[in-house]
Parts: sequence; structure tokens; C-alpha cells
Amino acid sequence: MQEPVIRTEALTKYYGRQRGVEDLDLEVKRGEVFGYLGPNGAGKTTTIRLLLDLIRPTRGRAEVLGMDAHAQGVAIRERVGYLPGELSLYDKMTGSELLQYLGNLRGGVDRGYVASLAERLECDLRQRIKTLSRGNKQKLGIIQAFIHRPELVVLDEPTGGLDPLMQHEFHRMVRELVAEGTTFFISSHNLPEVERICDRVGIVREGSLVAVDEIESLKAKALRKLEIHFASPVPLTLFQELPGVRDARLENNTLSCSVVGSMDAVIKTAARFEVLNVVSPEVSLEEIFIEYYQGGSDA
Amino acid sequence: MLSNIFLKTLRDQRVSFTWWSLGVVALCVFLVAYYPSVTRTPSLSEFFEEAPEWIKAFVGESIEDYTSPAGYLNGELFYMMAPLIFLIFAIARGSAAIAGEEHDGTLDLLLANPLPRWQVVLEKAASLAVSTVALGAVLWLSLIVAAPAVNMDISHARLAAAILSCVLLGLVFGAFALALGCATGKRGTAIGVATALAFATFFLNSLAHVVGGLKGWNRLSPFYYYIEAEPLKYGLNGLHALVLFSVALLLVGLSSVFFARRDVLV
Repeated sequence: MQEPVIRTEALTKYYGRQRGVEDLDLEVKRGEVFGYLGPNGAGKTTTIRLLLDLIRPTRGRAEVLGMDAHAQGVAIRERVGYLPGELSLYDKMTGSELLQYLGNLRGGVDRGYVASLAERLECDLRQRIKTLSRGNKQKLGIIQAFIHRPELVVLDEPTGGLDPLMQHEFHRMVRELVAEGTTFFISSHNLPEVERICDRVGIVREGSLVAVDEIESLKAKALRKLEIHFASPVPLTLFQELPGVRDARLENNTLSCSVVGSMDAVIKTAARFEVLNVVSPEVSLEEIFIEYYQGGSDA
Repeated sequence: MLSNIFLKTLRDQRVSFTWWSLGVVALCVFLVAYYPSVTRTPSLSEFFEEAPEWIKAFVGESIEDYTSPAGYLNGELFYMMAPLIFLIFAIARGSAAIAGEEHDGTLDLLLANPLPRWQVVLEKAASLAVSTVALGAVLWLSLIVAAPAVNMDISHARLAAAILSCVLLGLVFGAFALALGCATGKRGTAIGVATALAFATFFLNSLAHVVGGLKGWNRLSPFYYYIEAEPLKYGLNGLHALVLFSVALLLVGLSSVFFARRDVLV
């Protein structure tokens, strides 16, 4: 049996009396894209920094690539790429100097590969980092996590600041590397992103892992909001009776409701009338979670 | 220059080091230019001889022969100015080494590399030592080039001994700042505590000559090992230099132990 790439046992971290994470039991399999989803302050960054041995557990332990995160940290970090959540780069360097330096600290890396990564993300390496936009800094952060072709890539909120086009390119890169056998551990507070690139999702809330699920079943349980603007009055009860529909309200011929799981029934019912517009407002992660836990039993 | 942490840290300092060097050169030019006017005023020497003990203690005993090149340099440079320069230089770099990167947020990136933490500390400490020695070399060169212009006769070897002693003093406090930064992760704390200790031990060493109750206690002060044996007059005191060197080394060792044990701050 293949051992997990990441395994934590009752991993717990307190900062003084403040909770970081508590009794975390986590397993990430080789070759999967694991999404680590949770609102800000839930303990995502704490977990990741424990895996990288930047901070030490209060109790419990973490294993990465079958080795103890602390005792064998050096051997682990040889095979792991990492993008910090609060990314700070050496401002006075240029992008190419930074990548050269970090490559050298790893005993040298394939320069052609580094150049091809920069080209794909359209990252200008000649500029001083100080002068770069947040998105361009983030690109550099992503590139440096990939330069040594790591077996495991740990990314803390990777797409913050990236424009949608670059996010897609980044997702393509992740998919390609997964095809080559790379494992990804990606933290995010953004459900749509996690839905797009992850195979499995761990949901962390207030320092505890509350659920680990295949992305498909998460989608089935996830809550979305929907607003449909009709040309003429429609019967509200028709929609209220549909499976998965909650809190349906009708105002000025506009139906607003929450939908758990598939939208199929709502859309097909709406299609019987003249529809002017359909809007799906973004749902905060907290709302999704509340629905996910409370609704888990009766959905 | 980007092949390891040691060289990269030196590279980071290239601009600031140039300014420090220019400052040191300027200081030497002033010192040397002012020297002829001192030799023409023998009464200065007499004035100091009649001065009360406590003034001598503060201005330095070697002031008694203020008009000799060694006396002049001791009083004007090595008693106060040179330690100040090397302390500020070394404390700034020592505190920046780990706590500075931590404050800037770049430490996560650095430590994600396959390097043990002690190696990071050692490479940073080595660059601190090399840059401090290099500043000492600038001081030495400036003086031996400028001094002949005013017939200021100083022994190159003894000047080197005095500067080396001062470099070692700087390294003790630089390493102390490094250790504080490694233990706390806070650059401000490292600078503040190291500077406070430097002042305290400076006065401890000075006052021990006049305050009876402090007699002997000045052996706890790094300044005692720096200046007490008067390296500019008598050459390097091997034992005293060894004490400073060992303390600095010990502090670097402690730095890597402290740093290896604690959480990196966000």
C-alpha cells in the first residue's frame, strides 16, 4: 500500500492560549490535489507552517513523504515546494536574481525549466521585485515553488492577486504536474477555485477539521444563491416545493432563493416563464459551511 | 554572489558598506588633519596631567601622552569613536540577520529550502564577521595611507592589533544582537538590549578605575578586554583577544540553538 504524502496525527498548535489548530487528523494521498478549505483564521496557514517545520506542534505529529516534519525537515524540504500565504520576497532583487538564488540554495535547478515557467505565467524576470504589482509578485512566488520539480507542492492561497487568465494558466499547470505524479496541497477560502482544481477537500473551521470529502459530494451539498428576474408574476409555491430550494422569496417579479446541490430543477421550472436575467450572488464560505453541516443530515 | 546565504548577505550590504567605508575614510582624514595642531599645543598634555582622576577615567588614561601618535589615536579614536562605529555596524547587522528577515517576512521563503536552521545562522554570522573585519581593514588602510602626510608615526602592526581588538568587540555585541534576534524574532528588542548592554558595560569598565567598589568587576565588561591592555601601544593581548573571540563564538552557537528551537513568527 502506498503511504500518504501528508499524514497528521492529533496535530495541535496553540500560540500561547490562542488556538491555531486542534487535533488535526489529515491524510493526503500521492498524486491528488487536496484542497484545504476554510475561512480566514481557521488554521489553514498554521497547518501548512507546521508541515514545513516553520512552527512546532504543541502536541501530536506531522509526517510528510513518510518522514517526521521536524526531525527530517531538511530531507522533506528537498522534495517539497512551498508558497507562503503572506508572501514577501527580497524587494531589492530582480525576479531572475531571486529565482537564481533560491535555485542555488537547492543546489542548482534546471534554468530552462525556470524560464519556461516564467514564460507561461507571463512573468517579467528583469524587473526589480519592489516595482512589481501584487499579481506579478504572486507569479514569482508560484514559480519558485515549482523550480525544483518537487514531489509535493504546498500552496497557501495561491491565486490571490492573479487575474482570471493567469488563474486558468495556473490551473492548467497544476493539472499537468498532477499528470506527472506531483501531489498538491492547496489552501483556499475560495470555493469555486477549489471546485475547479481539487480532487478532495478538507474543510477546516475554528482550528478543527470538520469534514473531508470528494469534491463531487461537496458540490452536491454546497449552497448557492440564486436570483431570477421574471417578465411577469410567477407562483412562489411552485419554486418553494422544489428539492433543495430554501428561503424562496418573491419581490417585484424577482425570485431569490438558496439552492443546495443541483440547480437543475430550479432552472427547468424557471424556463417555463419568461426570464429576463439570472444572477448568482457570491456566497460567503461561512454561509456554505453552515449549510453544509446543518444541511448535511436532512439534505 | 547568489550562490549561498553567506555571499548573498554580503551582497545585500554592498551599498550600505560603501557608505560606512566612506564615513570611516572621512573620519581618518579629519583625525590626521587635526593631528599637527595637537602636537603644537604641548599645554594640552599638561592640562590632562593635572586633571582629576575621574576625568582621566572617562577620557581614557592614555590621554596623559595625548600628543604622541598612539596617545592621540587612543584618545580621539579608540577610546570612544571606533567602538561606537563598530558596535553600531555590528549590532545593526547582527539584529538584521535573522530577526530582520523575519520582520520583512522573507524568512518563510528562506527556511522552506532544504537547509538546517543552524546553517542559516552560521552563514549569516560569517557574513557579519567578514563585513566587520572588512570595515576594520578600511579603517587600517585609511590611517596608514593618511598618517605619513603629517609625519604621524604609527606602527602598522600595532594599529592593526588595536583595530582587530575593536573589531572583536564589535563582533561580541553583533553576535549578542544576533542571539537576541534568534531567541525573540524581534529586531527592535535585539537592537535595544544589545545597545543598552554596550553602554552599561562601557561605563562599568570606565567607572571601575575610580569607584572603589567596582574594582575588578570591570573584568565582566567586554570593553576591558578590548582596551585595557592598550593594543595600540603594546600590541595585541592574545588572552584578551581570545576572550572576546570566544564570547562572540559562544553567542553565535547559542543563536543557532535558540533559533532551531522556536517558531518562526509570521
